[in-house]
Amino acid sequence: MPRISLQKVTMRFGDIYAVRDIDLVIKDGEYLTILGPSGCGKTSLIKVISGLWTPSEGRVLIDGEDVTDVPIEDRQVGYVFQNIALFPHMKVAKNVSFGPRMQGKTTEEGKEIADRFLKLVNMLDRLNMFPGELSGGEQQKVAIARAMASGARLLLLDEPLSALDARVRMDLRYEIRRLVKELGITVIHVTHDQDEAMSVSDRIVVMRNGSIVESDSPMRLYRRPNNLFTAYFIGETNLLEGMVSDKDDRNILVKLRDGTDIKVGGNRHFNINDAIVLSVRPEYVYPAKEGLSAKVVQVIYMGSYWRVVTRAKSEDIVEYNIPKHHEPPAIGQELELVFNRKMSMVYRRPKEGISEAVRLE
Amino acid sequence: MSLTKRIDDLSSRRDIRSGWFGIITFFFLAFIILPTVYVLIYGITDFQNLSDTVLDDPETMSLIWGAVFTSFSLALLVTIIDLIVGVPMAWIMVRKEFRGKKLLDTLIDMPLAFPTAALGFSIGIFWGLPIDAPVPPGALGIIASPYILIMLLHIIFTYPYMVRSLSAILEQIDQSYEEAGMTLGASRMTAARTITLPLFRAGLITGFILCFARSLSETGGTFIALITIGQADKFFTGPTLIAWFKRSTLAPEEVEAILAVVSIILIVTAIIFLLIIKFVLGRINVPFDKVWPRWERVLSRGMVPKAKDAISFVWLFAIVIIPSFFIFAYLLVPSPAEMDWSGLINALSFSFMVAGVVTLADIVLGVPMGLYIARHRDKKLAQIIDSLVNIPLIVPTTALGFSLALFWTSQDLVTNITFLVIMAHIAFTYPLVVRNVAGAVMEVDPSYEEAARTLGAKPFATFRTVLLPIVRSAVLAGAILAFTRSLGETGATVAVSSEANTVPVYIVNLMNSGDYYLAAVSAMVLIMVSFVFMFALRYTIRRDGGGY
Amino acid sequence: MTVVELKGLSKRYGSTVAADSMDLKVEEGEYMCILGPTGAGKTTALKMVAGLIDPDSGQILFDGKDYTKVEPESREAAMLSQVYSLFPHMDVNGNVIYGPRIRGWDVQESQDIVDNMLEMVHLNRRKDAFPCELSGGMQQRTALARALASGSKVILLDEPLRALDARLRIELRREIRSLVKAMGITAIHVTHDQEEAMVIADRVAVMRYGKVVQVGTPKEVFDTPVSPFVANFVGQSNFFTGKLVSNGDYSVVENDMGINVKARPCQLPIGSEVVVAIKVGNTQLRTEEGFLIGRVERILYEGVTIHVDVMANGKLFSAKLPNRKYEEFSPGDEVVVGWSADEATVFPMPEQGLEEELRLE
Repeated sequence: MPRISLQKVTMRFGDIYAVRDIDLVIKDGEYLTILGPSGCGKTSLIKVISGLWTPSEGRVLIDGEDVTDVPIEDRQVGYVFQNIALFPHMKVAKNVSFGPRMQGKTTEEGKEIADRFLKLVNMLDRLNMFPGELSGGEQQKVAIARAMASGARLLLLDEPLSALDARVRMDLRYEIRRLVKELGITVIHVTHDQDEAMSVSDRIVVMRNGSIVESDSPMRLYRRPNNLFTAYFIGETNLLEGMVSDKDDRNILVKLRDGTDIKVGGNRHFNINDAIVLSVRPEYVYPAKEGLSAKVVQVIYMGSYWRVVTRAKSEDIVEYNIPKHHEPPAIGQELELVFNRKMSMVYRRPKEGISEAVRLE
Repeated sequence: MSLTKRIDDLSSRRDIRSGWFGIITFFFLAFIILPTVYVLIYGITDFQNLSDTVLDDPETMSLIWGAVFTSFSLALLVTIIDLIVGVPMAWIMVRKEFRGKKLLDTLIDMPLAFPTAALGFSIGIFWGLPIDAPVPPGALGIIASPYILIMLLHIIFTYPYMVRSLSAILEQIDQSYEEAGMTLGASRMTAARTITLPLFRAGLITGFILCFARSLSETGGTFIALITIGQADKFFTGPTLIAWFKRSTLAPEEVEAILAVVSIILIVTAIIFLLIIKFVLGRINVPFDKVWPRWERVLSRGMVPKAKDAISFVWLFAIVIIPSFFIFAYLLVPSPAEMDWSGLINALSFSFMVAGVVTLADIVLGVPMGLYIARHRDKKLAQIIDSLVNIPLIVPTTALGFSLALFWTSQDLVTNITFLVIMAHIAFTYPLVVRNVAGAVMEVDPSYEEAARTLGAKPFATFRTVLLPIVRSAVLAGAILAFTRSLGETGATVAVSSEANTVPVYIVNLMNSGDYYLAAVSAMVLIMVSFVFMFALRYTIRRDGGGY
Repeated sequence: MTVVELKGLSKRYGSTVAADSMDLKVEEGEYMCILGPTGAGKTTALKMVAGLIDPDSGQILFDGKDYTKVEPESREAAMLSQVYSLFPHMDVNGNVIYGPRIRGWDVQESQDIVDNMLEMVHLNRRKDAFPCELSGGMQQRTALARALASGSKVILLDEPLRALDARLRIELRREIRSLVKAMGITAIHVTHDQEEAMVIADRVAVMRYGKVVQVGTPKEVFDTPVSPFVANFVGQSNFFTGKLVSNGDYSVVENDMGINVKARPCQLPIGSEVVVAIKVGNTQLRTEEGFLIGRVERILYEGVTIHVDVMANGKLFSAKLPNRKYEEFSPGDEVVVGWSADEATVFPMPEQGLEEELRLE
């Protein structure tokens, strides 16, 4: 199984940098997801790794061997395209055996390999159909089988689910992860969908403007993001502007715009009067007797819980979740909110303003 | 209430819309399709007469069959050669980015702007051995065979059709198919051969038919090239045979009968042949499956692809561009002392008048038809019209012109030559406009129009304010194509009447009377005029393209 | 303010049925979502309301009046398509003012409306930009402004968020709802994304095979589905098949593993073949005793919830639990799968079989 490492990879088109100075190591058998909004450079990066593009600068190493100038057909990487790209004039079996045949295997050997991989994705009964006769989800499963049948040591998934229905997407992402973990191959998956990234990955690399913002396991990124953008991009969160008003050896005190004081654990590196942004996820906000005053604007039923949207006295929109069996508050009702001290994150307030710092496009 | 407002309101009524479409369809069927194939009806009703005067005359018949055979073998050969050199060129144009690509793009289209009459002259003096035309310095003069000379000529003006239709399809084939093949271990050449080429079939067929029909139908260029080398009364293609008989001194009834037979044979065989091509090419199973990984890998790398690209460029310049432009070498030949410009001016003004009227008619009647075809592809009627539109493109223009004149004069409906010439030119340019518009509209997502309708726009207002601005450049392209084609057409004009004095006919007459210098000057003038139009076209399209 | 009613609408294309005597009533000022998989006939239904497709039979009523034969431009029902269809040759202002201009309203008045509208979608500073110069989200908002500025009484939204990044969709769906609600017009919104439907709609109509399967508030559709398909499409479900043993305060089903399980009461005859559905969000994992014992296969941290797959009696069960439970389980643990009886719904066994009934594509 290969270990991939990118060293100072830069991809430039004229004066525009698609990706810039990327250093990244992908371990054996790891499921790594590159996550970011449109135009962040994630597709450029995967095209460089695949060999479809040659980087303007930097090197790509697979198992310590420099493959920067190895043409794509000799790299043994399986690539699954966003638009699926099954050959429309070949039957499913032919599509899957294309890779083996290209390596000089006989038709029989190719057929055998195709059968094996189609069985893995539960598509054996579609053997003699043309891609056009399959549904979108089925097509993508065949495409994955095709990519793996070529003997790929590394599977690259370029937004593999974005052409599919939301509900199909959900089922397929669990299936993809199960499959690749069974085979133990290394995967690099590119997506803009944070839910998808969270469910499939061992590790997520968050990208923005051609650079890596941060990378960590889904749980760490959700609970303890190092960066305001990550906090906003992965999962939903409430962002409140404030100022550090006091600190002791355990906590800091954050003063919101309306003067309410909120106590937050840790973060002792902040100084009094620092301008900050407080980020707290809706499941860590609770109604209480005393806290931040807020007024309910909307109540949404989310299936497994209610989402309550409020406007706080500090002019921030604050949302919180309550269990589905509880009676939701009425619209217009006034209430007090408190935040989970341990699960609140504090960031230095960005100079360009919050909305610019978390802008999605 | 303003006129547009009134039309907007009328367009909201379904019965009015159907009525308007009925009128357009009637015009198309009665004034274009029927006259084009009228000679077939004539052939059936007057069979006895034809049989007596022509069919039973073995000498004439062998002349006719010989000419038709020459036409078909030429067209086939030319098309195959175009295909072989066209595929690599289309690949370069679509899949590669390089400096000077726009220039190359223009160069490939060059022959479209050359009136074939001018081309024929240029080719004749460059490759051939002219009998008494003065030869400018630089001419090669190495080809004595009229067959090869005509082949070289036809390759030039069919080449852009082939490259264009191939690249149009290639552009639509998503590159990710090839990329997918390569990630699966296929070398560049294997991926192109096993994946892209099979998907390419539609483009091959269109290119094949366009080139074939164009070559089959060419009259003026062929005729003039033959005159230059003194073979015009010895070597015939189907269309030049018609032109030759039209000028012969035989009795008019006899000429009519002979021309009818030639026309019928040309039309029927052309249609049958093209149906066969469509059927056979669509079904041939080339063994795309076999792969030779090692050999193809070798062929995909290093010198081989470079050599292939180099040959494509050499072909473009040595065979297409330089011979076409050779006519300008006439500027180096000393001019005779006196020149009579009045004939050229008369011919020019007549040509312009015809082309102008024709283009206008094409736009008014062709744009709605293109729109209908593009937006009702699921309806039977639209599909039928869609195939009917191609008929005037397939039918050799000489046969078309003859048939059309026969239709109008047979019942003494109209005998005015100007009218007949205009109708003939409309018949073979109308499909160009319809095709262009239909093609462009099909590319436009119907949701633009749907959005406009739900925002309160009446159908005609939707067309005016949304669709037309979006496809404007395609309409313009169709119009200019129609204009230049009309300007350069010889065959149809001659077939209608040998007295209609358009510029190409004027050139033929000059050459027949040995006035080569003036003929060359007239050809150059015609080329320059066409160029101006073509560059105007490219300018508008490019400017439009930047908008969105 | 308009009531839109679809009565017995049918439409066929050759052998495909796009609408099969479809009925739906949308109340004045209501935000209705039509939710269904690709090919359910959602877009056809919407286009029939817009007047862009003629139904084969049936009626469309606006405020009780028959509009079936009315031309689209006279219906005052503006449509917003998933590709936005912004006119490429007009700038933002030109696009938004198109409706008022084409209806011949007073020029100054129209401009005021447009300015106001652009202000609401935060595009007043991009008035002179052409569609190709805008990001996806801005294009979407321009299209929305254009539809709302046209003075229509009904707005039809055809998967308006499909082309956007996942995270941006979450931002924009809120915005769309609040704008439409602020204008007080009737809205019909088509989507395949159940989460989007739940969050944005007053009521949801679930469609399949050209028919409306269920209409109700998000809570009704989620909590009391009328068929196994709805149970699985709107939020995932775990399924059992079995025989109905008794019916009373609870129904008791003997499942195919020979175990009796309790579920909500139903109206089916004793002894009939049934399907029991439990939402993954209502599936619990306990460590105390129970009848359905399995082994944890994997745990995925997905943000607000964790996703746990459990293999029990050779069947895979999934559960979505609050994220604080992440540390409570690890792969290989023995757990008991359970649920409360009033979270389990009993359906008659579908004629075409359960697998076919649950097909998503």
